[in-house]
Amino acid sequence: MLRQVQTTQARPTLAYHEFYRDDFQPRDHYKPMWEHIQHTGQHLLGAKAREAHLALHTEGVTFTVYSNQDEGIERVWPFDILPRIIAADEWRALEAGLKQRIRALNLFLKDLYHGQRCLKDGVVPPELIYRGKDFRREIMDIDPPHDIYTHISGVDLIRDEEGRYLVLEDNLRTPSGVSYMIENRIVERRILPEFFARYRVRRVEHYPALLLQALRHLSPRGADEATIVLLTPGIYNSAYFEHTFLAKEMGIELAEGRDLVCKNDKVYLKTTHGLHQVDVIYRRVDDDFLDPLVFRRDSVLGIAGVINAWRAGNVALVNAPGSGIADDKAVYAYVPDIIRYYLGEAPILPNVTTYQMTDHQDRAYVLDNLQSMVVKAVAESGGYGMLMGPSSTPAQRAEFAKKIQDNPRNYIAQPVIQLSRHVCYLDGELESRHLDLRPFIIYGQDIEVVPGGLTRVALTKGSLVVNSSQGGGSKDTWVLAD
Amino acid sequence: MLSRIGESLYWMTRNLERADDTARILDINVVYMLESDEGATEEMQWQPLLNIVGADELYRQRHPDGSVTVQRVISLLTQDKANPGSLYNSLRLARENARVVRDRISHEMWEAINEFWLQVDKHLKTQLQPWRAAEFYAYVHREVALFFGLAQSTMMRGEAYGFTVLGSLQERADMTARILDVRYHLLLTDVKLVGSPLDYYQWGALLKSLSGFEAYRRKYHSGIRPIDVVEFVVLDPDFPRSLTYCVEGIDRALERIGTPATGAVRDAMSALRGHLTGTTSRDILDTGLHQYLDHFLLLLADLAVALQADYFEAHLSDAVGETAQ
Repeated sequence: MLRQVQTTQARPTLAYHEFYRDDFQPRDHYKPMWEHIQHTGQHLLGAKAREAHLALHTEGVTFTVYSNQDEGIERVWPFDILPRIIAADEWRALEAGLKQRIRALNLFLKDLYHGQRCLKDGVVPPELIYRGKDFRREIMDIDPPHDIYTHISGVDLIRDEEGRYLVLEDNLRTPSGVSYMIENRIVERRILPEFFARYRVRRVEHYPALLLQALRHLSPRGADEATIVLLTPGIYNSAYFEHTFLAKEMGIELAEGRDLVCKNDKVYLKTTHGLHQVDVIYRRVDDDFLDPLVFRRDSVLGIAGVINAWRAGNVALVNAPGSGIADDKAVYAYVPDIIRYYLGEAPILPNVTTYQMTDHQDRAYVLDNLQSMVVKAVAESGGYGMLMGPSSTPAQRAEFAKKIQDNPRNYIAQPVIQLSRHVCYLDGELESRHLDLRPFIIYGQDIEVVPGGLTRVALTKGSLVVNSSQGGGSKDTWVLAD
Repeated sequence: MLSRIGESLYWMTRNLERADDTARILDINVVYMLESDEGATEEMQWQPLLNIVGADELYRQRHPDGSVTVQRVISLLTQDKANPGSLYNSLRLARENARVVRDRISHEMWEAINEFWLQVDKHLKTQLQPWRAAEFYAYVHREVALFFGLAQSTMMRGEAYGFTVLGSLQERADMTARILDVRYHLLLTDVKLVGSPLDYYQWGALLKSLSGFEAYRRKYHSGIRPIDVVEFVVLDPDFPRSLTYCVEGIDRALERIGTPATGAVRDAMSALRGHLTGTTSRDILDTGLHQYLDHFLLLLADLAVALQADYFEAHLSDAVGETAQ
């Protein structure tokens, strides 16, 4: 399929500003906050920022950065005190777009692992699926409870130069960040109660309750009997803080692979009083490591036999194994077509233009224009394994050009989008930084989007990379009630 | 409860108790060092500490010249990262285990231990000087007390609480037995010191290392007598660091957790109780305090093995689903 080759000159090159209008006046929904800052004086923000850092430090709200050494480094979650505010009508459109996308992607996954109608009808090229690292033949024809694959999704949204929301990535495997969304809110409320007094901000803290309800809904022995566990890779995982947070909020066991054992196609917890049967596993372990009998044999993080227990219908797995193929960055380009195909609707949220490296024409164009491209490995996340064209060195570009030619299926490219900017309070100054937004979608009895999300900020001036592993920070995200 | 979680709760408090006990014996020595005792060398004052915590061999490896100095002992027992039993490592392990069971302890407990660890980690980046040590150890006591106080006031009295009590009392019994053993041994071998002022201070140091000096003075009015000290430290059910108190506390903790009717834990407990009941301090001294305490430590080690079998690896003997289909 030919991708449309777009010229970059047609677009304005300046990033959209969330906070200021073009005349440098705050946008309407930021005016009450701005007036308050002017009224109390900017210097007060300094004390508030220190207070916020201290609170996060003492509470141990941390994430782990992986380095070349064996052990990761634990860092305090970087938090900017000025909230990002989303007006009610703007949110309504986002919510509708996200629900539509998740509904379509679940139908797509069901189809891929059963009849594969979409491949026969030519909606998605079969070779893209079969050569995708996250397409799992091992789970063909398994029926997950209620045909749900992605119970939890974290869709990354950005705004282009005109302020349009675009989907950058669908994170359908084990999306993280929701605990930070809640912690940001808790800290913000403690530090800046006076800001809240000027708005009607919608709540986000019921996320764990929604999730628990969705998990119970999946229990093969019925919701009342359900024993639910969160499967974590352990304390050295970058998201371990989040795992403990969610387990505690939901009152479920936080288990590691070694705490679980399979017998007769059932999964059991090893407790101080013997074995105890498990009904639902919210796993925060990648497919590859989930079951050494089916996927990677050297995995010590998983549970031997869990896929058979799942196949037998004795345990529910959240998200379903094999979901990763739907957020493969090469498959991503086809999501608008997938929405049209399964739902017969026009996509509400557009994609970012994406060039397939398996397509000759696309590839030639990208290789000629590497400097203005973002190149991403299709099955990586967290900002690892990517090339940011404008800030790259010739050596890095040469390296990626070779990688692309050696293994075209492993890469896609996108034009660099100037992510929207927002004011941040950094070292005593108000400065503009680029950011994105990750709302969280839960697919239980219905599809629900929690009104808010994780706003990630690129704290380095001019940087477009917002991942916390790459020096990103975050903001509290306010969705306003009408 | 998950076996691994029970185990982490146990090691969390066991390591924390150990950090506290280590701080206490060091603290007492640091304070006593301020005034010079006739005839007491630096080595005489500090060598016993190495014996109590079993770091003698490690010390010789580290300092082949064999000379025992204040600064060296303080460093080895407080901040040496290669010493698995150093205060620093005990606290690191306590906090690491707390991190594992973060969803099982109260938010206040987690904040307290996390903040404590961050401060100590920062503080011990530089070498702890003897004249600043007392202040540091006092800080350690306060923070440990805060944590255990929060555990008492915020934790449900269920299985998790049982494991935290178990960990701290097991470590405390262990440390008490070893402090008594080493100190007592030293005191009685040097016959010419019996009844001297140094003797008084050394016995005082023993009781203070167990936070029992004042309580002892209130209870026994005839000065410090070895036979009374043994009765107090081994058999007194009301002294919260005595062996009897610890074993009774362990018993109550096991009730909260729920003990299998037969099994290793039950056997180990009845052996421990048997060792402490029906005996007097006179009997103990007649058979030899060292042998008596040595035997106690062995029984305590048996209990640790039994906990492993009955709780932390309980699934190994569980028959669920074993029947062939």
